[in-house]
Amino acid sequence: MAETADLIVVGGGIVGCAVVQHCAELLPAGARIVLLDRGPVAGATSASCMGHLMVTPDDAQEHAFSATSVKMWAELEEREGGFDYNPTGALYLADDPADVELFAVLQKQFADHGDRAEILDQRQLRELEPGLAHDLPGALFYRGDGVVLPMLACGAMLRQAKKHNPNVDVRPHTPVTGMLLAGDRIVGVQTARGAIHADHVVNCCGVWAPELAEMAGQPRLPIVPRAGNLAITGHHVTPIRTQLLEISYIRFAHGAAKVDPTRTDDPGGHAMNMQPQSNGGCLIGSTRQFRGMDRTLNKALLHRSLLRAQRYAPGLAHAPIVRTWVGLRPYSLDKHPLIGPWPPLRGLWIAAGHEGLGITLSPITGRLLAEQIAGRPTTIDATPYLPARFLR
Amino acid sequence: MSGERIVDADVGVLGAGPGGMAAARALAAAGLRVVVLDEGHRAGGQIFRQLPPGAPHEAIAEPPSHAHGHALLDGFSASKVELRSGAIVWDARPGRLWFEQDGTSWLLRCKHVVLAPGAYDRCIPFPGWTLPGVITAGALQVMVRGFGVVPGKRALVVGSGPLLLPTVTALVSAGVQVVAALEASSRWRALRALPGVLGNGARLREALWYGRKLLAAGVRLQWGWTVFGVEGDGRVQRATIGKVDADGRPRRDTARTIEVDVVGAGFGLVPSIEAGLLLGCASRLLPARGGHCLVVDAEQRTSVAGVYAVGEACGIGGAEVAMAEGELAAAAIVRLERGAPIAAAVARKAARERKAADALLRAFAPLPGLHELAQPDTIVCRCEDVTLARAKAAAALHGTSHRAIKVGCRAGMGPCQARICGPSLQALACGQPFVPMDLPVAQAPLKAVRSETILQAPQA
Repeated sequence: MAETADLIVVGGGIVGCAVVQHCAELLPAGARIVLLDRGPVAGATSASCMGHLMVTPDDAQEHAFSATSVKMWAELEEREGGFDYNPTGALYLADDPADVELFAVLQKQFADHGDRAEILDQRQLRELEPGLAHDLPGALFYRGDGVVLPMLACGAMLRQAKKHNPNVDVRPHTPVTGMLLAGDRIVGVQTARGAIHADHVVNCCGVWAPELAEMAGQPRLPIVPRAGNLAITGHHVTPIRTQLLEISYIRFAHGAAKVDPTRTDDPGGHAMNMQPQSNGGCLIGSTRQFRGMDRTLNKALLHRSLLRAQRYAPGLAHAPIVRTWVGLRPYSLDKHPLIGPWPPLRGLWIAAGHEGLGITLSPITGRLLAEQIAGRPTTIDATPYLPARFLR
Repeated sequence: MSGERIVDADVGVLGAGPGGMAAARALAAAGLRVVVLDEGHRAGGQIFRQLPPGAPHEAIAEPPSHAHGHALLDGFSASKVELRSGAIVWDARPGRLWFEQDGTSWLLRCKHVVLAPGAYDRCIPFPGWTLPGVITAGALQVMVRGFGVVPGKRALVVGSGPLLLPTVTALVSAGVQVVAALEASSRWRALRALPGVLGNGARLREALWYGRKLLAAGVRLQWGWTVFGVEGDGRVQRATIGKVDADGRPRRDTARTIEVDVVGAGFGLVPSIEAGLLLGCASRLLPARGGHCLVVDAEQRTSVAGVYAVGEACGIGGAEVAMAEGELAAAAIVRLERGAPIAAAVARKAARERKAADALLRAFAPLPGLHELAQPDTIVCRCEDVTLARAKAAAALHGTSHRAIKVGCRAGMGPCQARICGPSLQALACGQPFVPMDLPVAQAPLKAVRSETILQAPQA
């Protein structure tokens, strides 16, 4: 006798956990929601990424999307907590005077959406962050950003889910081995521990989302891994209290990739991004490189990352590095995540492809998907993220 | 420029304990150029630790086997081996060892690598174990024998296995009163070690020497007892002790309190295999030998060409095993380099010592019930201040693998990189005594080094 559920979420990273949380809130009380992951909850990308909450003001839609999500993070902290939530704000730093012009450009983008960022001169910057290099010409300070510890945040989302709906069933170390289909409908999944029937299955597998789609006989999803090398220091040595980004980061991280993401000969690039940790450590990023699923360290890119970190915070030269590692971002080929139904197969939903903004955007992603499954109006316009755009 | 920070050798040896010294001395005697990298300030490793020059110094009583250690130290010092002390090896690949020494980033290029990194103390958390005054057996040896520091006045020694005895004698000779010495294994379980000891003259003499020392100090080893918890205002003042059952589970009805200011805890050792894993060497789980061990063949060769492993990295065995295996690894390399055959006696001795050590260790294999000493508010990961309750919540939500527990509560992600909590974490968090431990993840830097060290690493 096969097991039945109302909703199966595959992938226990930050996006899967957010989907579970919001479905637990919006689906009818007592709905059976099962979360499956072949490894631990928060064991893959969500355990090997940075933890930024970052409002991106590129256009009105992006601003609403990210700002709403960052606000939801504050709500999660209030309701649940336990994930090192730290509303540090973000400093966009310029390396040389030429970059200073970019402050006003970014400031105007925030202002265009009724938001506010402040330009700090050299003295103001030094007062805020005395550990930074003294020759830095200034910074743009945006107070709305912050930092969380993603793997603990996954746990907080699932605890919230269980409070709303005790029928939420979390099953780590349970690989999905196949999809159960009936005509043009999905009717459940086959796991290593038996079949589970359900009317709705959500693919939250990040860089592995195409693999799951292929199990359902669907064409390859437009998501490719984009690797990042990270390093973390020991405790009590962080020279910074605020999240730091190079002002060029925005263009680098969120502009269109200049290389063909589907090839694997990308030399990769770097833009400084650093985050203080609750234990006094400092997380040092960030590099980007398309090279398939390879998770070996790219020493050249890591060195560049460490070197650039020292340029902004010279004290880091003497900081002990306790660990380095590689994480894989799920890069969507049109730079926007896929959130919504997959029309060719009724009952199949997707929430994946957030590249480097998965932590920031997971709450709004979970919300938008839950609203669509529940047949409710969406909090913000969800059409730009509908996966169906790739079927046209 | 970085060429000045590159050292070349025929053989690079990681560790200047008994195994590394024995290998290095024999290799140098055959005319090979040997460089030994060691974290200590002088050669000797944990067991033959030497006081720093000029340190205040009471003669610490030493068992008969340490005569071998002195002979080895003398031979090692007299040899042409280049010893690099205070060297932290942080990255490795076959033929290359990157290390930090005196704040400088170095590279050792060598044809062969001999891994002799030794072992770590196995820590079993119990209430109050993070209070100042609770010290592992290994760290106590460092304090007493390595720096001449007397840690307190009244000591309780707890744990399991052969390490308890040198811990007691080191404390006694430093003038500390050992109030109680508690071996968690039962006397009957320990009897399983007897054939191994009786069949090996040196080990028998060693056991008798310790027996006489304990008798003279008026210390009686209590079998089937351990510490249930430690209390004090800012440091150790009292300990609750009691009996344990055959699996090590505390029998709470037997608890009683004693006044002590030092607790030496020696629950065995865990092989240090990270350097081997980073080099790509195969490993396997051998619980009786302390956990995951590097796999070696009959000539100490690992699965990676040009990489040898000796002593504790191949499974806990003690100094005699390490010395014999060090000589065997050296003989295997000398045969390659000089064509000299391996003397049958060298191979025989290594096999015999390992067999005797295995027999001894089977009697003191880790007792799973000791994991029940920790209470919900007991810290299990002291780097990240994770309590048992939080580790259990992580296992319940994130999964029961080692990695799942780590990502669920951050245990094992601090400066020690799970060297302290790792071996017990899964058993503690899952509440199941016998869970197969995940393999530790090995990545550069193997140990924390300065950002500059990584950036300045010579490439060649």
